[in-house]
Amino acid sequence: MIDLMLGELKRTWIQTLRYPSEVIGGVVILSAVFYGIFLGTQYMAGPSATFGTRLDTVVVGYVIWSLVLYIVNDIATNLQAEARTGTLEQVFLSPFGAPRVFFARAIASLTLRLCLILIVIAIITTITGSQLSFPPLLLLPLSTLLFGAYGLAFFIGSVALVLKNVQQLLSLFQFFLFFLLAAPTEDWTGLAKTISNVMPILPSTGLLRDLMARDVGLDWHGWAIALANGLFYFALGTLLFRWAEGKAKQQGSLGSY
Amino acid sequence: MSDLSSAAPRSSGPSPSIAHSSDSPLSDLQPSDLQLSNFPGGLALESEGLCKSYGRRKTRFEAVRGVSLKIAPGEVLAFLGPNGAGKTTTIKMIAGLIRPDQGWVRIAGRDPHREPQALRGVGAVLEGNRNLYWRLTPLENLEYFGVLRGMPGKRVRSRALELLEAFGLLDKRKEPVQKLSRGMQQKIAIAVALIHQPQLLLLDEPTLGLDVEAGETVKKLVRQVAASGCAILLTTHQLNVAEELSDRVAIIRAGQIVAEQTTEDLIRQFSQGAAYRIEFEGALDAGRRQEMALLGASVKGQFIHYLPTADTTSASTTLYKLLRILEPLPLLEVRQDRPDLTDVFLQLVQTND
Repeated sequence: MIDLMLGELKRTWIQTLRYPSEVIGGVVILSAVFYGIFLGTQYMAGPSATFGTRLDTVVVGYVIWSLVLYIVNDIATNLQAEARTGTLEQVFLSPFGAPRVFFARAIASLTLRLCLILIVIAIITTITGSQLSFPPLLLLPLSTLLFGAYGLAFFIGSVALVLKNVQQLLSLFQFFLFFLLAAPTEDWTGLAKTISNVMPILPSTGLLRDLMARDVGLDWHGWAIALANGLFYFALGTLLFRWAEGKAKQQGSLGSY
Repeated sequence: MSDLSSAAPRSSGPSPSIAHSSDSPLSDLQPSDLQLSNFPGGLALESEGLCKSYGRRKTRFEAVRGVSLKIAPGEVLAFLGPNGAGKTTTIKMIAGLIRPDQGWVRIAGRDPHREPQALRGVGAVLEGNRNLYWRLTPLENLEYFGVLRGMPGKRVRSRALELLEAFGLLDKRKEPVQKLSRGMQQKIAIAVALIHQPQLLLLDEPTLGLDVEAGETVKKLVRQVAASGCAILLTTHQLNVAEELSDRVAIIRAGQIVAEQTTEDLIRQFSQGAAYRIEFEGALDAGRRQEMALLGASVKGQFIHYLPTADTTSASTTLYKLLRILEPLPLLEVRQDRPDLTDVFLQLVQTND
């Protein structure tokens, strides 16, 4: 499995970095979109408005949104691209089994994405003057966020395997995620809080905002909920992916697109 | 290109003939690596009663109906059939990519649909697919797929370099695949399919779209791979390629196998009753022409045509009688118009229409 992980890391990095202009373009677009959002908000609030902590939470929200969106799309777009280029069936010939291969792939592309995200964060904080902190405890809610996000990624990947065309679904999902991640769930109470605890990803995003933008310590109870939430959606996603693989093999549509 | 001419001659029948060329990495496939001691019967592939239907109710159609195939190590089975006959569906069922409705598959004794480890025994070059990552170089592709097929990371690189050398691609190892010719890409795809030393190689149209030279190279490679002990299931519409490479032929039509035997026997079977043509020098008088006509032969210019009856013995007797009538005129040629695999294929497919 370690060899597979290393192999996927090597493949992902080589494929991406072989054409550096695409990488630079991605970073520029991510930074520019955020700067556009920032300028638009500033224009509406007036020149004298200062964002302070709220700016930091917006930056964190945007970065998480772009990371989660990338992860959620990753497996499905990968499946579709490989079906088109004709390598997908070769991947399914692996004795490791598809879920393990795609999980290794997801981790490999995550390392690449995290590097890009760090560059984007550096650009955004330089432009806006945002002051984000990166305490080591950050890794805990980040990991639960990633579990949840990969659960969703396997879910969308399953839909892509069975139904093939998921572009519309991905577009819809983009706005759904934006709405969910922008919601300040950490301030919610009662029934709304319970609902936010069972929704995918949400328990982790509030904790991340607390740690990175508000300098509030980690709420361990909240993190336990986030961990259970992340693991549940991850398990659900991988189980669904196994089912979808079997369904696609039954339909004879594994390599179709 | 390195020496590919060391391939052993094709085996002439269904029994396995495992030869090894000592100077090629393909010879790394030792009998001990194969299944001879690992699975019963010494078969690289065994499938029984494979069935697959698509669609529901009115749109339902049976793509494959009870296909059974067996291939021994070192044997090349040409799997032929018209478009839509069920070849690709069968191949993908064997590779574990399509789940059969009925029937089973064993690769080196293991079921690829239940045991993912069975896939260690399969290499495939699938038709219509690139089978490779175009942004990666040949070496990077081989290394990646080696790991994906479960090879230890340390062994992959040396095996990849050996294959590149054997396939004459060592000098192209650092070029992205998308910049290479179609023939080279196909060679790399075959090398990738062999990286983990599979017992069974599935080749779906391996020479499609290749120029003559590249096609010849791929044919040479197929012979060498088979000589190393790897069983090969080959589909192609180029029947001359099938005839040249295969030990046995299975012809599928409308999802069912309509013929399966050794290539030689199949052609011989269809040669029975084929016409003889005798070419001679000199003039044939009216009396001798009359004698020949009575035996069922016709004379046109310097040629005698004789279409025998189904009885082989009486056909030979008549043929010798014709030759005695011709005596002492000089004979230039006596030949039977034996069909090739194309004729056999067309007859089988059209007969069953």
